[in-house]
Amino acid sequence: MKTPTPLVLDLIDAIGEEAVVWHDEDLLVYEYDGTIDRGNPDVIALPANTVDVVSLIKIANKYEAPVTPRGAGTGLSGGALAAKGGVIIGMNRMRRILDVDPENKTALVQPGVVNLDLGSEAERYGLAYAPDPSSQRACTIGGNIAENAGGPHTLAWGTTTNHVLALELVTADGEVQWIGHDTRDEPGYDLVGCVVGSEGTVGIVTQALVRLVPRPTAVRTMLAIYDSVRQASNAVSAVVASGIVPAALEMIDKMTIAAVEPVLNTGFPLDAEAVLLVEVDGPESQVEAEGARVEGILNRFEPRELRSATDPEEREHLWAGRKGAIGALGQIMPNYYLLDGVVPRTQLPDVLDGVYEIAERYRLPVANMFHAGDGNLHPCLLFDEREPGATERVLDAGGEIMRLCVDAGGAITGEHGVGLEKRDYLPWIFTEADMDTMKSLRAAFGPTENFNPCKIFPKGHGCGEAGHQHAQHQIAKFGPKAFV
Amino acid sequence: MAGAETGDTARLDSLSSLFDNVDSDSERLRRYAVDDLVPDGAVRATEIEDVERLQSFATERDLSVIAHGGRTMRDLGMPPRKYDVALDLSALDQVVDYEPNDFTITVQAGMTLAELQRHLATNGQFLPLDHPHFERATLGGICAVGRGGLRRGSFGGPRDWLIGMRMVKADGTAIKGGGKVVKNVSGYDLPKLFAGSLGTLGVIVEVTLKLRPQPASDQIVALNAPTFESALAASRAAANAAPFLNGCVALSAGASANAHDLGAKVLHDQPAILLRANGLETAASEVLAQALRAVRDAGIDNPERTTTAIVETWQAVADLELQNTEACVRLRLGLPPANLPRGQRILADNLPEVTSWVAAADSGLMLVDVPTVDADTVKTLRTLLGPLQGRLTIESGPLELKRAVDVWGPAGPGARLMHNVKAQFDPSGILSPGRFVDGI
Ligand SMILES: Cc1cc2nc3c(=O)[nH]c(=O)nc-3n(C[C@H](O)[C@H](O)[C@H](O)COP(=O)(O)OP(=O)(O)OC[C@H]3O[C@@H](n4cnc5c(N)ncnc54)[C@H](O)[C@@H]3O)c2cc1C
Ligand SMILES: Cc1cc2nc3c(=O)[nH]c(=O)nc-3n(C[C@H](O)[C@H](O)[C@H](O)COP(=O)(O)OP(=O)(O)OC[C@H]3O[C@@H](n4cnc5c(N)ncnc54)[C@H](O)[C@@H]3O)c2cc1C
Repeated sequence: MKTPTPLVLDLIDAIGEEAVVWHDEDLLVYEYDGTIDRGNPDVIALPANTVDVVSLIKIANKYEAPVTPRGAGTGLSGGALAAKGGVIIGMNRMRRILDVDPENKTALVQPGVVNLDLGSEAERYGLAYAPDPSSQRACTIGGNIAENAGGPHTLAWGTTTNHVLALELVTADGEVQWIGHDTRDEPGYDLVGCVVGSEGTVGIVTQALVRLVPRPTAVRTMLAIYDSVRQASNAVSAVVASGIVPAALEMIDKMTIAAVEPVLNTGFPLDAEAVLLVEVDGPESQVEAEGARVEGILNRFEPRELRSATDPEEREHLWAGRKGAIGALGQIMPNYYLLDGVVPRTQLPDVLDGVYEIAERYRLPVANMFHAGDGNLHPCLLFDEREPGATERVLDAGGEIMRLCVDAGGAITGEHGVGLEKRDYLPWIFTEADMDTMKSLRAAFGPTENFNPCKIFPKGHGCGEAGHQHAQHQIAKFGPKAFV
Repeated sequence: MAGAETGDTARLDSLSSLFDNVDSDSERLRRYAVDDLVPDGAVRATEIEDVERLQSFATERDLSVIAHGGRTMRDLGMPPRKYDVALDLSALDQVVDYEPNDFTITVQAGMTLAELQRHLATNGQFLPLDHPHFERATLGGICAVGRGGLRRGSFGGPRDWLIGMRMVKADGTAIKGGGKVVKNVSGYDLPKLFAGSLGTLGVIVEVTLKLRPQPASDQIVALNAPTFESALAASRAAANAAPFLNGCVALSAGASANAHDLGAKVLHDQPAILLRANGLETAASEVLAQALRAVRDAGIDNPERTTTAIVETWQAVADLELQNTEACVRLRLGLPPANLPRGQRILADNLPEVTSWVAAADSGLMLVDVPTVDADTVKTLRTLLGPLQGRLTIESGPLELKRAVDVWGPAGPGARLMHNVKAQFDPSGILSPGRFVDGI
């Protein structure tokens, strides 16, 4: 029988036995967040409120134990992994929607609120929470804030950073402060803008005031099936260039169809190469006219078939293949490695060709399902980690795909974060001076060496993640030269 | 006044050996005065390296630098604690990179908003910020000030359109943040930090922005109201009834008359409501019809519609923000929009005289001109507005007032972190010292 350490005993003292997880078998679920890396936390603490969070941080600091915040663990970049062990502070018990203010169109929520729950609550007032990651049934608002999450509908509305107004933040030294303001009128630096997208490295968000947006009166979803990825991606470019701002513009490819069709019966032909989903919304008359224009553009690229729906149930059916895509990949291979590069939208057709070429060269099946309208790719490299050498090949191919995006004028991550996984690649886009400046911003939030360590920035001692060696290999191949 | 703060103009002599465009003519230097302080020298940057060289020179000699764009909001903020050199960025005005089909553009900081919009219009695109004096205001200044305008309810502020930025730090190091893609979480979001930092963290030299397609149709309806209060109440009703409105402003008689003189011919010497909608023609009309029903239910029913001179009309109202600021004190109140009527009553009850009211009813922004106000009244107003989440700042006013009361208001709970940020980015405090929140 394992005996509790003094750290564990202190944590139990502070928030109660039932809120502290420390037996080895119970820790397993917290080792992973969908990336290839693993982390081994010593203990998980589940606070019920801000006061708990402060006590937990202070106790961890007393023992010099690293602290890592965690939401639902869907992050896909290793951000929520305890890279150096220590305490994971899991926000899942803080899941109350504290207030919805329909007149000012805001909601005050705890960080553990699941994205979809906030969306459903907003819907009761004829409002919506715009950022809708495909993981919205599980992921938390705290995790969304940390990763500046996007989703199909952030094409028109912008990502999480455009929707977070104010925050309660507990910094690494255990200080609590409110930052931001209901209408962004607090004089001073935009600290909220700094915290959003900081990947849980500057403090723990314990409350958030978010913006809600009006729900459109009409919505039309169109689905076009193409015989080549080129046709589909050219259609994407043409829609973007047309001046219509669709509510969503997503793509899935043949491998994804192969994964979803047997499970979800979406009716996609298995020999089609790509499916585009386009949604327009707004007042009835606008939706009708814009829908017709979008269909015209989609037709120019000669789809095999074009479907269209305005009825909520039918629309949901059209979306099913996209929303269930990642979940269905297990049909093909036991593991996937999901990349998140983002490129200027006119580069999309060429970069997609490059992605297929790289995957083929590394003998890896690749499935693409992604936010085409934003230029945000999600190549999923499929593999079986039990096959010797497979993980290594995946990491190498991943590095090359990131480089492809950088060379196209893009970036290594659009919405999942750098985390533990991509940190060695940051020098491909930022110089030492850029990164030093970012670190100095982090330092402004307090002494953070022990707070979510080993994330975002390259180097760091004792982080020992799997990807590190392979990243070094790719860096050596392409050179660490910053893209400027 | 020149040099009085430093008492040592010799320190600037070697500036001339570094640059061939140093100005030290005392008359011309007056153009760069900030709150009556005239710098000892001014450098007009023509390339980014000029900014780097100036900053490392200034760091070495402990010279304070204030950046200048179009100088339309030069006096925003507290009087500087120290001011040696003006850095003029207006000559850094080039388009760096523009691929219309990406819907992004990269420009140098000295480009004016008007020039940018003209450039974009040739491709049917625009940047949805309607700043006053857009013929002069520069993208660098707009981002450094970081304000959202009258249409911030629909479009947000500069922060929401910025996706990348190059800056020069206090010590002369060139850095960047963000990138050229519309979605990005690679590294911390430094552009957000610099947006609204009023030149206290570094000099913005280049910005990359997201763009919008120009709407197919853009329509404005103006209505007269008996009083500003009724205009405000009715425009709140319109904002609630028609959430897809693209602008919803209430004006007092004084504001309407000024806007008329500036080119908004649909406005007269009467309190008014201005409603704007865009999109496809039928959709914009649908939205306006929704709003007009709500306004009519609130007792106001004399719509005057225009589909021409939209930009001019709107710009005239936006320009009110900068009109004859010397003659008066301009207050700016930001608060949750539902609290606008209550906030307005507090101001009306406590200010002896108000010459002009302008309120963006959908986003909780109010601009109030008064002939004069004393420091105690400002403090009282802040106390009364606090519970409504109201933030009252002094946009412009006489120096005596700025010396007597902090234009930004008392430091909020984030002040500790803000001081830390300033200390990290500008440890020797040479960038616009003392002008920002809480003495930063
Ligand atoms: C199937 C699938 C689909 C996805 N689709 C999308 C998508 O469409 N768009 C998108 O953007 N992402 C997507 N993701 C990625 C992921 O869901 C998002 O990044 C999400 O925001 C993570 O939320 P989480 O609660 O799971 O956070 P976690 O994974 O638990 O944590 C993520 C990061 O947030 C930090 N964190 C968590 N809570 C807090 C807090 N309260 N305060 C401070 N830091 C905190 C952690 O330290 C960590 O660094 C997808 C993931 C999966 C598995
Ligand atoms: C009544 C009113 C209404 C306004 N409404 C809006 C609005 O609706 N929307 C909106 O966005 N803005 C609004 N503004 C502010 C508007 O942003 C300013 O006109 C503009 O920011 C000033 O640009 P400029 O080039 O003239 O800057 P300047 O006046 O030259 O400088 C303004 C400040 O920014 C600093 N600065 C200038 N350039 C740089 C740089 N490159 N790097 C670092 N610091 C720099 C200066 O030091 C100074 O502190 C409003 C202003 C007023 C007075």
